[in-house]
Amino acid sequence: MRIVIGEDSALFREGLRRLLTENGHDVAGTAESADTLLDVVRAVDPDLTIIDVRMPPTMTDDGARAAVTLRAERPDRPILMLSQHIETRHVVELVGTGGFGYLLKDRVLRVGDFLDAMRRVLDGGSALDPEIVAALVTPTRAGDPLSALSAREREVLALVAEGRSNSAIAARLVLAERTVESHMRSIFQKLRIDDAPDTHRRVLAVLTQLRS
Amino acid sequence: MLRPRRLVVAATAVFVAAAAVRALLAYGPPSVGSPADWPTSTALLLPSLLLGWLIAVRVPTSPIGPALALTATVPSVVFTVEDWGTTVRTGHPWPAARVVDVVGAGAWAWLFLGFVTLVLLFPDGLLPGRRWRVLWVAVPFSAALVNFTVSSDPSEGRFPIRLPEPLRVALIVTAFATFLGVLLAAASSLVVRYHRGDRLTRQRLRWLMAAAVAVPLLLGASWLATALGAPGVVAYTGFLVAMLFVVPGAIAAAILRHDLFDIDRLLGATVSWIVTTLLSAGVFAAVVLVVGGYFPDRVGITTAAFVTALVLLPLYQWIHRAAGRLVDPDRTVALERIRAFVRRVRDGQAEPEQIESVLRSALDDPALRVLLRRPGADLAVPDGAIPLQTGDSVVGALVLGTTSARRIRRAREAAVEARLPIEVSRLRLELQEALAEIRTSRSRLMDEVNAERQRLERDLHDGAQQRLIAIGMRLRSVQYHLSPGVSAYRELDEVVETLEDTVAELRRIAHGVRPSRLDDGLAVALRHLVADSTVPVDLVVPEVDVGENAATAVYFTVGEAIANALKHARATRISIAVGVTDQVLRAVVRDDGVGGASEGFGLTSLRDRVASAGGAFTVDSPPGAGTSITVEIPLELPCAS
Repeated sequence: MRIVIGEDSALFREGLRRLLTENGHDVAGTAESADTLLDVVRAVDPDLTIIDVRMPPTMTDDGARAAVTLRAERPDRPILMLSQHIETRHVVELVGTGGFGYLLKDRVLRVGDFLDAMRRVLDGGSALDPEIVAALVTPTRAGDPLSALSAREREVLALVAEGRSNSAIAARLVLAERTVESHMRSIFQKLRIDDAPDTHRRVLAVLTQLRS
Repeated sequence: MLRPRRLVVAATAVFVAAAAVRALLAYGPPSVGSPADWPTSTALLLPSLLLGWLIAVRVPTSPIGPALALTATVPSVVFTVEDWGTTVRTGHPWPAARVVDVVGAGAWAWLFLGFVTLVLLFPDGLLPGRRWRVLWVAVPFSAALVNFTVSSDPSEGRFPIRLPEPLRVALIVTAFATFLGVLLAAASSLVVRYHRGDRLTRQRLRWLMAAAVAVPLLLGASWLATALGAPGVVAYTGFLVAMLFVVPGAIAAAILRHDLFDIDRLLGATVSWIVTTLLSAGVFAAVVLVVGGYFPDRVGITTAAFVTALVLLPLYQWIHRAAGRLVDPDRTVALERIRAFVRRVRDGQAEPEQIESVLRSALDDPALRVLLRRPGADLAVPDGAIPLQTGDSVVGALVLGTTSARRIRRAREAAVEARLPIEVSRLRLELQEALAEIRTSRSRLMDEVNAERQRLERDLHDGAQQRLIAIGMRLRSVQYHLSPGVSAYRELDEVVETLEDTVAELRRIAHGVRPSRLDDGLAVALRHLVADSTVPVDLVVPEVDVGENAATAVYFTVGEAIANALKHARATRISIAVGVTDQVLRAVVRDDGVGGASEGFGLTSLRDRVASAGGAFTVDSPPGAGTSITVEIPLELPCAS
């Protein structure tokens, strides 16, 4: 697949390019700042854009804002955001739209997981970093619907939130897919979420519930 | 040019001589007029003379002193001339009485000499303009003309030459019209002066103008009354009183009321001296009379002196104060108001900083300012300001809005009285500034610390962490070229995993340095913070932007409070409420633990952290009833940039 990388650190950018190339992907363009990234993406029109949240010119959240711009131009354009640390400001509004992922940069080192997440995003699904999900799926107050979930259910929910399908969850937790489905029903019931078939909708639903 | 004071002495000598001559005329063989005339007219003239002396002593260079003395001396000479002339009709005519009688018939016109001089020179001793010099000639000329016209009245039959009647009528009209015109012109000089004058000059002139206008008006009225047949004594009384009392009185008021020559102190001292002397003489005499009856030798006198001294010592102070109050009530009232204020400051009923407004109203000077020396800075005392001293150092200054000798003297007295509140407010000012400086330097320090934390966090994320990941990626690339079966492949897996752990560790460290979640706002950061809690937490936090300093302080305080509640208080439930009201960020952390939290190191460092953001930190932790920690940080208003 054709990929554009928006990343200001040359070390990281080149490392990523090498990893992706070795895994059979085509890095069709790179950009060192949010502004040039927009031009490159518009010119190349890649299958997937990987963007660092913190980029020049202001080194704050220029990457995230560029992602929002790109998404507004073409809502189905797959985007994978990378960040050095957890920040959720722009994540939720983008993740719900599908074809969007948000990972910590460390995840690149787990090449298999990373490529898997890329694939999900490219297919219009979601990919959320487990650490971000962990922060989101912890009950923060009394009466939080999350506190009603069992430990196993919370585990399943976290994987759902990462953007995984039931079969992927079953594989990960070494469970029968049926068991995962029954956990899901229980979770949706406890959280009062209507079940929906699309993967990213499930993520959206979960996140919306978590943020309320 | 003659020295004004010598003129006063000369005028006084003439006055005394004239009075002596008149006394001889009144009580001697000629026995002119009624004996009551002499003391009455002398007493009437004395105030002007004394006032002249006062000003001559106080302001030796001012021509106002001689002018005032002149208003007393000229009438006394005129009266003497009149009395001298009258002897011609008694059994004992004085030498040249006939001639003097003729001259004396119209001599009253000269009475105005002093008055005109005064009006022309008041208050600064200068004529209003060069053209006014004409009046110097016109006054004696018209007075002489009137004198001549009246003296040559044929009905009196004294004048040796008879003038033809039409000429006489013309002369009368001319003389009187000129005379009245000159008087009015002199009086109008005050109007000119008034229009040109500043506020103070006008205030002074108002007094004199009232009197000056009264003189020609009353003179005209007197002429009218005489023409209608009223006896001369009745007709001219009002006018004489006006000239002899109203004018000097008005001048006295203009001088005393408006601080012209700083007379009041002298007057007060003189009055109290006279009263004291009289009293002591009285006491002395009484004691000599009483005691002397029993001990007719020196014992009586010694006793009298002793008793007088005993009585006098306390009496003098009292008389001095009473005279001061009488002569200068303003000063007494002003000082009393300041003293009352100082008492109220001592009793804690007033703030020492009010001293400026108190001085303003007490000294009747709305433009007065109290300057206080700032700590560590020199005070530039403006010109004309009154320095305020403690010991040898100047701690401040009083700047007066309007200055005059009397005001300056009074302000000095007031400054002495108000020493305590002035010094206290200066010290408090010093303290306030020192505290403000500490606050700003602390918050500046905290700004720098926060900036440094932010930089450090960024360095960790963008530097070390990123490098490690890049290394990891290269290792993965290397690994890619190996077959999964070899041991190096598995080893690289382990190395990269270690790297991953290191990166995660670095992230946690960077987060501890400065919670990067604060990037997303306090609400998000707090939500993440409470997510780590092992007991349920009720969190209420609005999505507000409160600025880095306040957010960091609240974030760390809440974090520490939660940690404390879990570790020490054995709480089973924690509630956190954050809100912004009236530009104050308020965060309350409550737990249901054992309470009794003591001000240990943890709480102290939290207090410092909150204080560095300009906020207040309170702990309420009764034993057994949970702990409640409140943080209140005033927010800076967002600047329009």
